[in-house]
Amino acid sequence: MIPLSRLLDGSTDGGRLAAFGREGEPSHSDLRRDVAALAARLEPTRGRALLLYCDDAYAFAVGLLASVRAGAHPFLPPSRQPGVLERLAPEVAGALLDGDEPLPALRDRPHWHPLRDGSAEADPAPVSLDRDAPLATLFTSGTTGSGARVSKLVRHLEDEIAVLERRFGAALGPDTRVLTTVAPQHLYGLLFRVLWPLCSGRPLQRVAALHPQELTPYTAAGDFAVVTTPLALRHLVARGELAQCAGACRAVFCSGGPLSAEASRAAAASLGRVPFEIYGSTETGGVAVRQQPEGDEPWECMDGVSLAVDAETGCAVVTSPFTSVGEPASDGCARFVTGDRVELEPAGRFRLLGRADRVIKVGEKRLSLADMEARLAEHPAVEDAALTALDGAAGETRVGAVVRPSAEAWETLEAGGQRALGKLLGEFLAPDFERVFLPRAWRFAAALPRDAQGKLPSDRLRALFASEAAPREPERLDARRSENALTLRLRVPLDLAFFEGHFPGHPIVAGVVQLRFAMHALEELLGEAPRVERLEALKFHEILGPGVEVSLHVELDEARARFAFLLVDAARPERLFASARGFLAGPS
Amino acid sequence: MAATESLESEIKEMIVEALVLEDVKPAEIETEAPLFLDGLGLDSIDALELAMALEERYGVAIEDDPERNQEIFASVKSLADFVRGQLEGATPQS
Repeated sequence: MIPLSRLLDGSTDGGRLAAFGREGEPSHSDLRRDVAALAARLEPTRGRALLLYCDDAYAFAVGLLASVRAGAHPFLPPSRQPGVLERLAPEVAGALLDGDEPLPALRDRPHWHPLRDGSAEADPAPVSLDRDAPLATLFTSGTTGSGARVSKLVRHLEDEIAVLERRFGAALGPDTRVLTTVAPQHLYGLLFRVLWPLCSGRPLQRVAALHPQELTPYTAAGDFAVVTTPLALRHLVARGELAQCAGACRAVFCSGGPLSAEASRAAAASLGRVPFEIYGSTETGGVAVRQQPEGDEPWECMDGVSLAVDAETGCAVVTSPFTSVGEPASDGCARFVTGDRVELEPAGRFRLLGRADRVIKVGEKRLSLADMEARLAEHPAVEDAALTALDGAAGETRVGAVVRPSAEAWETLEAGGQRALGKLLGEFLAPDFERVFLPRAWRFAAALPRDAQGKLPSDRLRALFASEAAPREPERLDARRSENALTLRLRVPLDLAFFEGHFPGHPIVAGVVQLRFAMHALEELLGEAPRVERLEALKFHEILGPGVEVSLHVELDEARARFAFLLVDAARPERLFASARGFLAGPS
Repeated sequence: MAATESLESEIKEMIVEALVLEDVKPAEIETEAPLFLDGLGLDSIDALELAMALEERYGVAIEDDPERNQEIFASVKSLADFVRGQLEGATPQS
């Protein structure tokens, strides 16, 4: 084990494999040379910030270490979304990128490929890093606009790596290859699949696998460990990948979201190892570990970490040497109040009870729903918006959006239907939010389902998405009734249950559906299901489309034997959609 | 030709069903349009779900080469070509 600050001082065994993959198999000597070559090029950026984004974890490591060596300060943007990069661009002196694709947001800044164009010295001068030097700034949540920045010093990671090695080193063994589905860009990846492997001399996989099958070629070389997330682990297990080489699997690490006891057992059965689950955050670093060989197990704090419960919020308060934001505490520790509600158990163990705020995990990344709502509200078509977490396909969390459109937008909706508006708003969010965060389902309503306190309970929001089928009833805006008449103001929903089948491609409310609106109103007026004997003068006039606000007037004669209804545009009553008269069967 | 078209439409249906795409009808997915990013707008979670659905439905396993997988998942057409190739044994399974 080499401490992070001494990774470049010649202590490592230069012949040792640093990384593997289709992109090449550099050794630790190569790493030192590549870092020195890049650091020389980065010299002019001393004291400035540099944006670092690489898919190749080896190029990433070279970029990170060279920046620190050159006295520059790497920013690790959470994604390559143009909006995210544009906001960071003014602060950075340049960018370290490994892709060939141009990033328009950074066009006018110098950029470097960490592994290209450098002139490597054969034997670079050994250098050690200052433990108190800044290592990197990370960003949490999906946006940078209001998302938190978290700066880490070299010592924060160095100390955590030491704790990880003490805790898991024996289980891993010395030459184990670190296979992964995790990008290097976030703290979990930065630690578990980049810096810890480098410091412990374990070879790391260069580009993370998207599909489980992509890990298979690397299992032939001997012992391996897997650094993954609950989502990827589920796919790994479901497809039985790696099961045939489970004997060579030394450990499985899983972080980024909750892993159920059932999923843990399934993984253990398939991979031969009960996953080590890691609870942590960008702010705190690693907090706790658990394994769930059977049932639901509590979490146990990592060495050096203490956890308390905030009396007011019920949230975990973490004090540790790996925590880099919050109040300073003794011995270089810091104390940070998380947004995770917890329940303490004996012997310092605890259970996680969920988030206290409106931060959710999608694809194992943090998204602040409030941030996205604020962005959505900036669109002229949006009067008000609320987002909620939905269970998407196969139980993965997705975002659902409920929007109250502005007056002009209602017209768009009437013409193009809700799909067009959903698409438009999705495109509006796309530059700032990663694709997995974009709402998968849209609901447009005349009012958001607020409770008496004006709040939007998440169960009410979720209810709007609950039924598989779109709503079959019009949205009710107002009702006025007298003894023998009822006038309803209704809005034709945008969801297509009404429209499907009748006139494909043309979302219009079929006459039969308009008649059904009238019959429901009649039922309400009568207090029982109407027994219609005869209907006459039934006429459908103008075409009724989605989103239109209508006024439906139903009245009975004094004897309650005859009725009539009229369905018109609420804004322009001369615009008539349907009308009829009818006779009711007498009391039976 | 009829069989070709039916595999493509089957895959479109599978996409809508497996990914629970609310506002998309199978027939609206263009056979040769990109599935990810600018086309249908699918993401990395979808890629995994889609691979799983493909394996369950056709009993084919995708490959261990990330670049090849990107090609396979490019469009409905490339998915259909891949499935046909696997089923006909044209691409030997490793």
